[in-house]
Amino acid sequence: MTFYGWLFMGISWTLIISLAVFCFRRVLRGNNGGM
Amino acid sequence: MVKKLKKEAWGSKLGVILAVAGSAMGLGNFLRFPVQAANNGGGAFMIPYFISLLLIGIPMMWIEWAIGRYGGVHGHTTAPGMFNRLWNNRLGKYLGVIGVFGPLVIFIYYIYIESWLLSYSFYSLSGVLTDMPDRESMAKFLSAYQGLESNAYFHSLVPAYLFFFITLGLNFFIIFRGVTKGIERLCKFAMPMLFLAAFVLLIRVVTLDAPYPDKPDWNILNGFGYLWNPDFSALLDAKTWLAAAGQIFFTLSVGIGVILTYASYLRKGDDIALSGLTAASTNEFAEVILGGSIIIPLAFAFFGPDAMREVAASGAFNLGFVTMPFIFSKISLGALFSFLWFFLLFLAGLTSSISLIEPAVAFIRDDFQIERRKSAMIVGGVAFILCQPAIFFLGHGVLDELDFWGGTFCLVLFGTIESILFAWTFGIDRAWNEIHRGAQLHIPRVYKWIIKYITPAFLLVILGTWIMQQGWSTMIMENVKAEDMPYVLCTRIGLLILFLVLAILVHIWHKKFYQEEGK
Repeated sequence: MTFYGWLFMGISWTLIISLAVFCFRRVLRGNNGGM
Repeated sequence: MVKKLKKEAWGSKLGVILAVAGSAMGLGNFLRFPVQAANNGGGAFMIPYFISLLLIGIPMMWIEWAIGRYGGVHGHTTAPGMFNRLWNNRLGKYLGVIGVFGPLVIFIYYIYIESWLLSYSFYSLSGVLTDMPDRESMAKFLSAYQGLESNAYFHSLVPAYLFFFITLGLNFFIIFRGVTKGIERLCKFAMPMLFLAAFVLLIRVVTLDAPYPDKPDWNILNGFGYLWNPDFSALLDAKTWLAAAGQIFFTLSVGIGVILTYASYLRKGDDIALSGLTAASTNEFAEVILGGSIIIPLAFAFFGPDAMREVAASGAFNLGFVTMPFIFSKISLGALFSFLWFFLLFLAGLTSSISLIEPAVAFIRDDFQIERRKSAMIVGGVAFILCQPAIFFLGHGVLDELDFWGGTFCLVLFGTIESILFAWTFGIDRAWNEIHRGAQLHIPRVYKWIIKYITPAFLLVILGTWIMQQGWSTMIMENVKAEDMPYVLCTRIGLLILFLVLAILVHIWHKKFYQEEGK
């Protein structure tokens, strides 16, 4: 795995995990998952 | 005056998000994505992939959620009624037929593939798969199971048919129980199970290191490198950009019509901006992080860099059903990991297949006011009959033909139509307000511009390029073998009849229920 391989994997994973965490935190904080 | 059935609704916000994410997550996340990425520039593939996610994937999610909720508020749960609302033109409702036809066509072959996953889960646990001596035996096993040849493993289609019957029954049992007690309950159970199985496999993969001591370079880390080391020259090839845009489109379940139906079960003030983004992010997590970390690194560690090219080129299907069980047979507790692999794919398939059949059931239930259980039985009976050609004529190109029309052509066409109808016919200002009704997330204003201009233009380019590159040659049956021509032709005639029947039903619905009520 080259430096750029690590870089691309790191950036991609970070972006996706950050987005998922941001979304789920807001969803669960919104109304405890209820409608 | 016709007595209206009560509108169905989701029980919780998390339920609808998991249902939409479950619909999006399928075999493509774990099989198609890693192969596409590895064959199209590795890490560099992620540049067009993320650009496509931002310009097509996420906007299309919001468009479909918004059209669905808007339609649901006005009593429509499928595309014909919704398009009729968006566009006050007699053509609108007929364009909407694609949103019922497309998912039904995908369902009739997808359910059969899903049943293979259930049977492979069973054969994994029973030790049959892990006893295979080599990849050739594994390929023969699959071929005999599908009825393409008769050999020591299978002499008939009976086992495949039995698992197909169980899978179809399970799907309709869930649909039969309704939105909250059926679909939502399944997704709340299946999605965490799916993630758990994927995490267990991920941990097994990353702790494997190098399986052959005499070949230390054949290791998991270099396997990740095979997928992630960027080849920047691929970015200069239009094929890479088209592959990335196509992957985003196919992975998110947009352009099918299923999100429209799922979103129609929302209430007027329910959020869609955050929910749509959350469903998309869940799918991306499963695809890039879990899907990208299992199949390619594992195959690399067992086959090495030279054979890897051949393995990746053999297609996602071969990789999933032949290469993966063979690899599991080489590691300790292989039967268990093989079971986890096929069971996670089965769960991903199940949450997708129920979403594919739901528009047809909703169309019968809500547009013809036939209660859900009867609607489910009617659609179940029709689907059962429609599935037969895909099972018995698999080796004659029927499945590929269904996939071409339902899973590719209708998808891109329907996505293009709905993006234009929403942003241009319905009007971008109304569309923007509709997306923001009850929103728990403020969408950056640049997306108003993206939804109006970039998304439809991007989709038109994909549609045009795809028709020129592959569509036209497939339409004129350029690559179909002479002996398969009658089967392919009959499939096309059958699909045309199915489309016409649905269009007639839409016509009857419009005349009987819509005009009679003077709406």
